[in-house]
Amino acid sequence: MSEIEIAIATAAGYKAIGAGLAVGLAGIGAGIGEMAIGAAAVGAVAENKDMFGLALLFTVLPETIVIFGLVVALLLLFT
Amino acid sequence: MFHPKQMTKLLIAASKDHIEEVIGELYKRRLFHIEDYVRNDLEEWSGYSIGMSLTQADQISSELVKIRSIISNLEINQESMPLAGYAKQNELSKKIESDLPGIAARIEALLSKRSGLDAEQKDLEQKIEGLKPFIAFEHPLELLSGHQAIGLLAGYVKGTPTLPDESEVFTSPAKNGEAFTIVAVRTEKVAECERALLDAQFHKVTIPQEREFASAAIERYQQQNTALESEIKRLDEELETVKKQHQLFFVSSEELLTAEIQQAEAPLRFATTEHAFVIEGFVPTTEAAEVMESLVAVTGGKIEIQELEIKDPNNEPPVDLQNPGFAQPTEALINLYTAPKYTEIDPSLVMSVLYPLMFGFILGDVGYGAILLVMSLALRGFVKGSDMGEKLMKVLRNCSISAIVFGIAFSEFLGMSLPWHPVWLSRHLNIGGGAEHGLEYVTHIPELLIITIWVGLFHLTLGRIWGARNAYVMDHGEHRSKLMFACIGWVLVMWGIVIAVWSYFPLPLMPDLTGLPYIAGFSAGAAFGVLCLLIGIVLIARDSVIELMEIPTIISNVLSYTRLVAVGLSSVAIALVTNFIAIKMIIDPALADFTVLSIVLIIAGIAVFLFGHTLNTALGLLGGGVHPLRLHYVEFFTKFYRGGGKKYDPFGMLRKYTEAEK
Repeated sequence: MSEIEIAIATAAGYKAIGAGLAVGLAGIGAGIGEMAIGAAAVGAVAENKDMFGLALLFTVLPETIVIFGLVVALLLLFT
Repeated sequence: MFHPKQMTKLLIAASKDHIEEVIGELYKRRLFHIEDYVRNDLEEWSGYSIGMSLTQADQISSELVKIRSIISNLEINQESMPLAGYAKQNELSKKIESDLPGIAARIEALLSKRSGLDAEQKDLEQKIEGLKPFIAFEHPLELLSGHQAIGLLAGYVKGTPTLPDESEVFTSPAKNGEAFTIVAVRTEKVAECERALLDAQFHKVTIPQEREFASAAIERYQQQNTALESEIKRLDEELETVKKQHQLFFVSSEELLTAEIQQAEAPLRFATTEHAFVIEGFVPTTEAAEVMESLVAVTGGKIEIQELEIKDPNNEPPVDLQNPGFAQPTEALINLYTAPKYTEIDPSLVMSVLYPLMFGFILGDVGYGAILLVMSLALRGFVKGSDMGEKLMKVLRNCSISAIVFGIAFSEFLGMSLPWHPVWLSRHLNIGGGAEHGLEYVTHIPELLIITIWVGLFHLTLGRIWGARNAYVMDHGEHRSKLMFACIGWVLVMWGIVIAVWSYFPLPLMPDLTGLPYIAGFSAGAAFGVLCLLIGIVLIARDSVIELMEIPTIISNVLSYTRLVAVGLSSVAIALVTNFIAIKMIIDPALADFTVLSIVLIIAGIAVFLFGHTLNTALGLLGGGVHPLRLHYVEFFTKFYRGGGKKYDPFGMLRKYTEAEK
C-alpha cells in the first residue's frame, strides 16, 4: 500500500469518527436536555390532558441539536 | 376552509310559561351554543338572577343515579353495545316509570347478597389462614384455651429464646429459619416469658377458638367455602342473565334521562326575572333563521329574539372548524395543540396536505407504509366511539398512503430495492458494501437536504404571511400595522440571507447568483440580499427591539427542516443494517454450506429480520409522526398561530339509542 493510499484511508477513517462523534455527542446532549423536560411534561399531561400538544412541543425542542449533528454527519459522509 | 363557521349572536327572551318548549326545541335542534349567564353588576343586567332548574329535575336525577350505579355495578360496556334500533321516547319514559323500581330492587338485592357472600368467604379464608400454623400441633385445639392458671403464647421466633423455668414449649420448624412455637407458662409469668420471646424476634399468632384438630377444622371450613363458591357462581349467572336481558333498556334509559336532566337543568345557565327568562348564545349564521322560525312556532309567537352585535369577535364566538372532508381528521392535530380563535386563520387544510407529505418523505418505504396502512385500518375498530381516535387513525391512513407513494418513488421495500431505479432522487445507502458486489448505489443526500430547505423556506414564509394577516384582522391601532410590517420584515430578513448565500455559493437545485456582476467589490445579489436584511431588521425593530435577538433562529428554523431527510435516512440505515445482518451475514452463508446447523441459523436469521423491521416500523411511526408534528407546532405555528378559541358546543345530544318526539 502506497503512502497516498494510506493517507486516503486514514482520512476516510477520521471522517467516519467525526460523523460518529457528531451524532453521538449531540445525542447525549439532547438526551440530558430532554430528561428533565420529558419528566415534567408527563407530569403536566397527567394533571391536564389538554397540555399534550404543548408538552410534546417542549419535549422535542432539544432534539433539533441531534438533527444538526446528524446533518453534519451526513454531509461528512456523503459529500 | 381557513376560517371557522360564521356565528350569529342571538338573545332570546320569553315568559317562563314557555321555558320548557324553548329548551326542548333548542335541545332537539342541537345548534345553539349557550353562553352561561354569570351574575354581574352591569346596569343592563340589573334585576336578573340565575334561573332555577325545572321541577322534575330532582326525580330525574335520582333515577339517573340509580341507572348509572346499575350500569357501573353490572359492568355494562356502553361502547360495545350493539345498536338495536331506536327506542321511542314516550314508551321508554313509561317503561322507566313502571319497570325501573322493580328491576333496580331485584338487582340491588342480588348485588347485596353477592357482597354478603363475598364478605363471608373472606372471613372463612382468614380463619383457614389462622389455623394453618397449628397443623403441626397434633392435638385438639381445645387444649390451648380455657385455662385459668396457665397462659399460652403462640407465634414465630428466630433462634432459641431463654425462657423462664417451669415453661412447657412446643416447636416445629417453619419457613425462613423461623420456628413456630407454643409456650405454656404460669399466668403470673406470662409477661416475663413474652419479653424473653420478643428478644428472639417473636411475632405473635392468635390462638384459634376451636375444639378439634387444626387439620379437621380447616377441612370443615374448606367444605363451607366450596358451598359458598357454588352459591356465588349461581348468583353471578343470575346477574349475567339480568344484565343480558335489560342492558339495552339501561343504556337507552341512561341516554334518555341524561337528555332530560340536561334540559331540566338548562335554566341554571339562563338569566331570569320573576316571570321571564333570557338566553344569550350563538348559532351558525346559516342556520340562524331556521332556529328563530322554529322558536317562534313552538311558542306561538310569544317570544322575542334579537340578533346582537358581537363586541369582541376574537374571543366571544365559539369556534366550529369547517374544512373539506379529507382535511377534517387533521383538525384533531390542531385541537391537540389548541383550537384557533374565531377570527384567525385555521391551518387545518395546509396541515392536512403537508403533514402526510412530510411523513411520507421521512418513511418513504412501500413495506413500512403497507404495514402502517393495514395497522390503521385494523385499529379502527379499537377506537370506535372516540372522535379523537377515529380522526387520528384517518390521519395515519393518509400518512401511510403517502409513505407508499414516496416508497415507490424512492424504490424502497423494507430497506431493499424494488425492481426499478429511484425516480429522480435516491437514498440507497452503501451499507454492507453493496457497491463491491456490482450493485449501483447512488445517493443524492445533498440534493435531498436542499429540498427540505425549500420546504422550510416555503413553510416559514407562509407562516409569516399568515402572521401578518392575523395581525391585520385581530389587532387594532398602531400595534396592528407595526406587527404586520414586522412579519414582512421577518420574511425579508430570511430571503435576504438566502439571496446573499446564493450570490456566493452555487448550490444544487437552487438559483445560482454567483455570476451576477460585482459592484464596488460586492456581488449585486449579495448587496440586494443585505438590503433586504437591513430593511427587515428595521421593520422588526419598529415593533420590538428585543425581537432582534431572535434573528439567528431564522437559520436554526430553516435548518430544522433538514430533519425530514436526516430522520428518514436513519430509518433507511436501520433497515439496511437489519437486512445485511439477517441475510448477508446469517442466511446466505448458511445456504451456501448447507448442514443441519443451517436450519437453526436460517431461523435465527428470520428472527433477526422480523425483530429489526418491527423495531424500525415502530421507530418510523414515531419519527415520521412526531417530527412533522414538531415542524408544524414549533417552526410553523409560532409564526402566526394564537389559539385559545373556545369550542362550539351546541346545546343538545347526539342520540344513539333513543328517538326524540316529533
